[in-house]
Amino acid sequence: MSARVQMLASALLALLLSGCAGSQQQSSNEALEAARSSFQAVRENSDVLRSAPKDVIRAGESLARADRLSSYWGSTDDVSHYAYLSLRYSEIAEQNSVLSLNQDRAAKLELDRQRLQLALREAKLLSVQEQSNWLEEQILSLTAGETERGLVMTLGDVLFDAGQAELKASANRTVLKLVQFLQLNPRRVVRIEGYSDSRGDKLENLKLSRARAQTVADVLVDLGVDTARIEVQGHGESFPVAENASARGRAQNRRVEIVFSDELGRLSSAR
Amino acid sequence: MINRFSCAALVVLSLTGCASDPAPTEQLRLSEQALAQAKAVGADEQVAELAMAEAKLLQAQAAMQRDAFKDARVLAEQAELDARLAEARVLTQKSQDQLDELNNRINRLRKQLGTL
Repeated sequence: MSARVQMLASALLALLLSGCAGSQQQSSNEALEAARSSFQAVRENSDVLRSAPKDVIRAGESLARADRLSSYWGSTDDVSHYAYLSLRYSEIAEQNSVLSLNQDRAAKLELDRQRLQLALREAKLLSVQEQSNWLEEQILSLTAGETERGLVMTLGDVLFDAGQAELKASANRTVLKLVQFLQLNPRRVVRIEGYSDSRGDKLENLKLSRARAQTVADVLVDLGVDTARIEVQGHGESFPVAENASARGRAQNRRVEIVFSDELGRLSSAR
Repeated sequence: MINRFSCAALVVLSLTGCASDPAPTEQLRLSEQALAQAKAVGADEQVAELAMAEAKLLQAQAAMQRDAFKDARVLAEQAELDARLAEARVLTQKSQDQLDELNNRINRLRKQLGTL
C-alpha cells in the first residue's frame, strides 16, 4: 500500500517537474541566445555605451541572472523571463543611442540651416542691390548725363504717333525700366517735360507737348508710381535742342524729357 | 517512510511555489507609470510594444486579483520594459522625422541659393 502511494507520488513529481520541459527548455534557450547576442552588440557599440550606460548595465545583469538560472532544474520560465528583460534593456539602450545621435545631428543641421538662411538673405539683398545698380546704369545710359538740371532722360519723337499724344508700344520697355528704377529708389521724384517743334500753332504745340508729358506720367501712375512723385510740364516750342529748319532737327525737338531728382528727392527748379 | 514524506513535501512545495512571493504593488505602479509616460509622448496602438505592454499590464492586474503574485510580477516587469521600449521608439521616430524635415529645408535653401 505504502509502496504504491510512494510510486504514485514519485510519478506525479516526475510529471510535474518534467512537464513539457522539452519544448520549454528549447524556447528558453532560444530566448537566452537572442538576449546574449543583443547584449553583445550593444556592449560593443561605444555610442550606446555613452548614451545609455544604465540600460546596458541592466541588460547585462538580467542576462547574468538568466544564465545562472539556466543551470537550475525547472526554472525555464524564469530563464525566459530574464532573457526577455535583458533583450528589452538592450533594445531600449539601442533606441536611446539612436535618439541621442539624432539629436546631436539635428543640432548641427539646425546650425547649417541658420547659416544657409542667412546666406540666402544676404544673397537676395545683394541681388536687389545689383539689380538697382544695373538699372541705374541703364537709366544713366538713357540720360544725357549730369546737367545743371540733374539727370535728364529723353523719350524721342519716335515713341509717339505723329501729332498724337499716345505712347507707342515700343516705348514700353523704356517706361518699365523707369518704373523699376523709381520703385528701387523710392526717394527720387521726377518732372516730366513735353516739348514740340516750331511748326504750326504755338498754343496747339504747347497743348500737345503737355499732353504727351501727361501721357508718360499717366503710364507711370498706372504702373504704380505715386502721383505725388511726378510733376508734369508742357513747354511747347521753347528750349529747342536742334534747329527747326530741317526735318531731322524738328524731330529732335519733338520730345519728352524726364528730369530726375537726386537720391534725396531734390529736383532742380523748373524752367 | 522518510522518503515518502519528502516526496509529498516536494509535491506540495512545487504546487504552491510562488504563493510565497510578496504582492508586487510597487512594480505594478512602475509599469502603469511607464505606460502612461509612453502614451504621453504619443505612443499608440500602432506601436507593437505599447499594445504588448497594455495587454500584459491587464493580465498582471488580473493575476493580482487572484493572488498569483509571481505571475503578476513577471507580467508587470515585462509590461514596464515593453512600455519603455515603445516610448523610446516613438521618441526616436520623432527625432528621425525632425532630421528629415531639417534636411528638406536645407535642400530647399541650397536650391534657392543655387538659382541666385
